[in-house]
Amino acid sequence: MNKFLRICTLLILGMSVKLSDAQVYTNLGNVQTDERAFYTMTKQMSQFMSRFNYEEDQYGKKIHPDSPDYRNRMKRKTVLPLLFDMENPRTNGSLRDFFISDLTQADSNYFEFLGGKWYSEVSATFKMNGQSVDISMIFAIEQENLGSKWVLTNVYFSDFSKLFPKGDIAEQQKHFLHPMSHELDFMNIHKVFKTPECIEYYASKTYSPDYLTLFFYEIKKGNLVFEKINSEKFHVFQIDNWYFEVSWFNRDGMNTGWLISNLIFLKDNEKEELLKFYQPNINK
Amino acid sequence: MKKILLTLLFGIFLIGNTQVFAQELSPERKQAVDSLALEKVRDLSKYIKIVGSKETPWSEANRVIDRAEELFAPDAEIGVSSLASNEVMYYKVRKYLERLMRLNYDRVEIDWYKIEYVSDLQRQPDGTYVGVITVFQTFKGFDKEGRLIYQDTTKKDITVYVKRKETQIGGRLIGFWDVLLGDMRVKETSLK
Repeated sequence: MNKFLRICTLLILGMSVKLSDAQVYTNLGNVQTDERAFYTMTKQMSQFMSRFNYEEDQYGKKIHPDSPDYRNRMKRKTVLPLLFDMENPRTNGSLRDFFISDLTQADSNYFEFLGGKWYSEVSATFKMNGQSVDISMIFAIEQENLGSKWVLTNVYFSDFSKLFPKGDIAEQQKHFLHPMSHELDFMNIHKVFKTPECIEYYASKTYSPDYLTLFFYEIKKGNLVFEKINSEKFHVFQIDNWYFEVSWFNRDGMNTGWLISNLIFLKDNEKEELLKFYQPNINK
Repeated sequence: MKKILLTLLFGIFLIGNTQVFAQELSPERKQAVDSLALEKVRDLSKYIKIVGSKETPWSEANRVIDRAEELFAPDAEIGVSSLASNEVMYYKVRKYLERLMRLNYDRVEIDWYKIEYVSDLQRQPDGTYVGVITVFQTFKGFDKEGRLIYQDTTKKDITVYVKRKETQIGGRLIGFWDVLLGDMRVKETSLK
């Protein structure tokens, strides 16, 4: 922790010495304004990636890919701590140090725009039958023709989830159509519809509800109407054995903008289950 | 006219001859395109300052709004939110600038921080490059007695579209990169 604070202080001091030459103070009427906080702020996700990979220096100047400084491991090590929310113990302790040392051990583990496995979660308010409801939409970057675009991969809406509770195994096993039903012209099928809350138990074990289709259906039917966006954050699974979340921090000080707000050590095989939530069709 | 000529010259400078009609932007070309995009954003900041100033005559402000509109793609919108409310209010470019012109202060000061951040350019499916430029602006509104009655600092994230275009000069087909501004997100920041 002390080492980290020393590095941060050195970086900020270094920045203030350099900037004080000419560009820290701007005349705003008769007020002298210090711009250092705007320099340290991670202003865009694009800048988060450039800083994360050390593809730009601390003044935001792009480093040419042929330069020895480009993705320089030692320099990357000093910049990475600035990308964490320092007010959160989860992202400001030994786990962070472990993550940084893992990232900078070899020339790999870079965060790539087109590298897949990173998602934007947009929390929004919709109107449903006159009531305001919160829905989280998940987006992923998809390549198409000459470029790429954000596409909707899933939604989280508690009303949808409540329709498909996990239910206990014993209850699930009570609901089935016996294997000779076809010989009776499926005369027993009425049982399926008698208990609509259990209808999905009659589906294949490979079945999983498609919330995105439900969402589209409700929108098309006019039952869900978009109101406003409340917040945006990012979920990154791209780095080997790690998951992190990036959120926007609009506050005073030198630790602002897009910062890592959650960090979890997650083995790649454990990621698969989680990824199914963000992108149910990821393997198709 | 001067702007068109500059853009064309820029295109010629980049391309050299019409045979090289590369769609990909090298880091050097990206840098040149970034400068052109920044130039447009600087024009916009200049226009905002003129339109916002209470010393600008009404007819002059309207003429500047016309110039500002020309910087943007026709369907561009401006989304504004404040610290007090996350709700985003959407305006067309003209409407946004007209609101600025009509603000009820006796005197306003609009200044821009020197910091500008230009994102990497990404290609969208149709091949057009898209990027975002971030700039910061301070706004101060004063009453008749010269008292400061309102101030804020806003972060402006401005979409930039960079498209490959061609034009004929002296019978030769010349390729150039055209830059147009798109949607702009205006967010109040707690940093002052």
